[in-house]
Amino acid sequence: MCSMPVLTASGSHEKYEMNQEHRWILIFLVLALLATIIAATMMGSMGPLGGGHNEISFRAVFDIFVDRAEKWPQGYRSIILDMRLPRVLLATLVGCALAVAGTTMQGIFKNPMADPFIIGISSGASFGAAASLFLPIEAKFKLPLCTFAGALLSVFIVYNLVHVGGKVRVEKLLLSGIAVGSFFSAITSFLIYMAGKQFHFLIFWLLGGLYTASWTSVHMACIPILLGTMGILFFSRHLNVLLLGDEPALYLGVDVVTVRKILLIFTALVAGVAVAFSGIIGFVGLITPHIMRILVGPNHRILLPASVVGGALFLIWADTLARTILSPTEIPVGIITSLCGAPFFIYLLRRSRRE
Amino acid sequence: MRGDTMNEEKRNHMFTTVVALLIVLMCGCISGFDENREAEKRSIVDDLGRTVFVPDNPQRILSLAPSVTEILFILGLENQIVGVDDNSDYPEAAKDKEKVGGWIPDEERIMALRPDLVLVSDMTSQAIISSLEDRGLIVVCLAPKTVEGVIQNIRLVGLITGKEDAAQMIAEGLEQRIEAITSVTASQLYRPSVYLEYYPYWTFGPGSFGNDLIVMAGGINIAADTATEYPNISGEYIVGKNPEIIIFTVGHGTTTTVDDIRDRPGFDTIDAVKNNRIHTIDDDILSRPSPRIVDALEQLAYIIHPELFPQSRDMRLWCVPCLC
Repeated sequence: MCSMPVLTASGSHEKYEMNQEHRWILIFLVLALLATIIAATMMGSMGPLGGGHNEISFRAVFDIFVDRAEKWPQGYRSIILDMRLPRVLLATLVGCALAVAGTTMQGIFKNPMADPFIIGISSGASFGAAASLFLPIEAKFKLPLCTFAGALLSVFIVYNLVHVGGKVRVEKLLLSGIAVGSFFSAITSFLIYMAGKQFHFLIFWLLGGLYTASWTSVHMACIPILLGTMGILFFSRHLNVLLLGDEPALYLGVDVVTVRKILLIFTALVAGVAVAFSGIIGFVGLITPHIMRILVGPNHRILLPASVVGGALFLIWADTLARTILSPTEIPVGIITSLCGAPFFIYLLRRSRRE
Repeated sequence: MRGDTMNEEKRNHMFTTVVALLIVLMCGCISGFDENREAEKRSIVDDLGRTVFVPDNPQRILSLAPSVTEILFILGLENQIVGVDDNSDYPEAAKDKEKVGGWIPDEERIMALRPDLVLVSDMTSQAIISSLEDRGLIVVCLAPKTVEGVIQNIRLVGLITGKEDAAQMIAEGLEQRIEAITSVTASQLYRPSVYLEYYPYWTFGPGSFGNDLIVMAGGINIAADTATEYPNISGEYIVGKNPEIIIFTVGHGTTTTVDDIRDRPGFDTIDAVKNNRIHTIDDDILSRPSPRIVDALEQLAYIIHPELFPQSRDMRLWCVPCLC
């Protein structure tokens, strides 16, 4: 890949320059993310916000953060630092991963319907998770490695079905994705049926949720997701060029096939690792890119970072609602992402059509 | 504007259709009551509130729930059972009975067995009950909500099958055992807080068997004021409520171990974990509304109030195998 022509390609196009307004939106999103992480850590069934049993006061939370929590019950410190904080951070990572994967897929395939779930990546990854229980190997990173492998396998199959004679047949994309996805889901369901006592381990990856979050899962998820996201961000200019079409991109010196493959591997990495720790969570990967495209436009140099932050924001709030709306009962986060995501998405679609 | 009027018209049509349908349905219900011609036959009301006409002295009984199978066996109806569901595994002899499938039973096999009475629990869906009734089978649903309800079920099955005397004896025996526990625990001022789990982070809320049993055994259920009967509660609620005792079920559905509970984030601060008061209970006796629910009550009482029931120490040993 030669990067110079790419630079001129995007540089010559005024639309693809990062303008001042977009920079402000990005700064605003990052600030909103910080505020959200703090607010979400305050919310939970034991308070200070959002629960029916607000036993932990703001004062207690403050004392816990400045490490003077002796006068409060020991459990409070664990609730804030060992339970809520890792959960909010895992929601941040998974939200980033799903949104960046969705944005990349929509860019690569130039299809607004593409997202990790519809393309079958998530189903492949959850199949990997289910299969990992039957592998007799013990390793620390066994689970994320298996989900990555499952995601990669489904991407590989879908890509080869869609990629005919050096060209991507986009119209076949959704059909192949749905076929591959339901095939892997069927195997996972069968494994669940056969699993007996392991049943609840497996059902988690089909239903999705962040309730298994701990510092261990945050540590394990953070490196692959951040690396994969950075890898994709590095190729944001190439994604812009891909939008022009395969032939123009080739003339501009972009090795279309290689770039597409590398991006797909990164996508499988972030989405696969996300599924390992959260199961299948729908809608985040599909709608975040669209919302961000309406806010900041189609330039991937700004769209990708905006999606990273937007996906995190969306999933943190969805998960916080899931654990507080019926507090102390938790509901599956997928209910919230679809319930809030779908109407908002329809509203945006109608509004952008009128414009 | 035009579109709006069209919509309104459509809505009006919808409304008329719905009202018409409702009237038809109501007429159907009323005529259903009028045709109550078989009222002189023996009728009972089952746990779904349905009036069912049952045969005298049924000889070919089919059970579609393990709890029902246990009731039939304890009443000495072993020879009248023509088939059971796949989950019926107690007592041992139930395993030798003809199996007719799991959650979705094999209706062909059921019809081949020609049962004159089918007993189900609320685990059998309404659709399956209707389908069996459409085939001319008599279905009675046993779905008690309390320990008291289980004893009523035993009496009801005794009544249907002509085993009233046996049912009376068994019911009284169970009531005495319950009384022996509750008469001691009812007056206790010290009521330890209990977290009773049947699945990681899933517990028994108000109106469930688990809640009923904890109260009878002299404890306080930390999930007593949740919104649903079987809620999935947040970890921080458990840590915040700081239960004195944690009890989890072992059996078909779970692989939870004491170490799993200890290793959950934040759980190291819970009194039950610090004081080694994590206990297990057999999932089958706790979650099946069968006569063994009284065993569950006794075990819970021994776990929650060991100081009140010292004679039962040997019992406690086998209900906490995971601690050894």
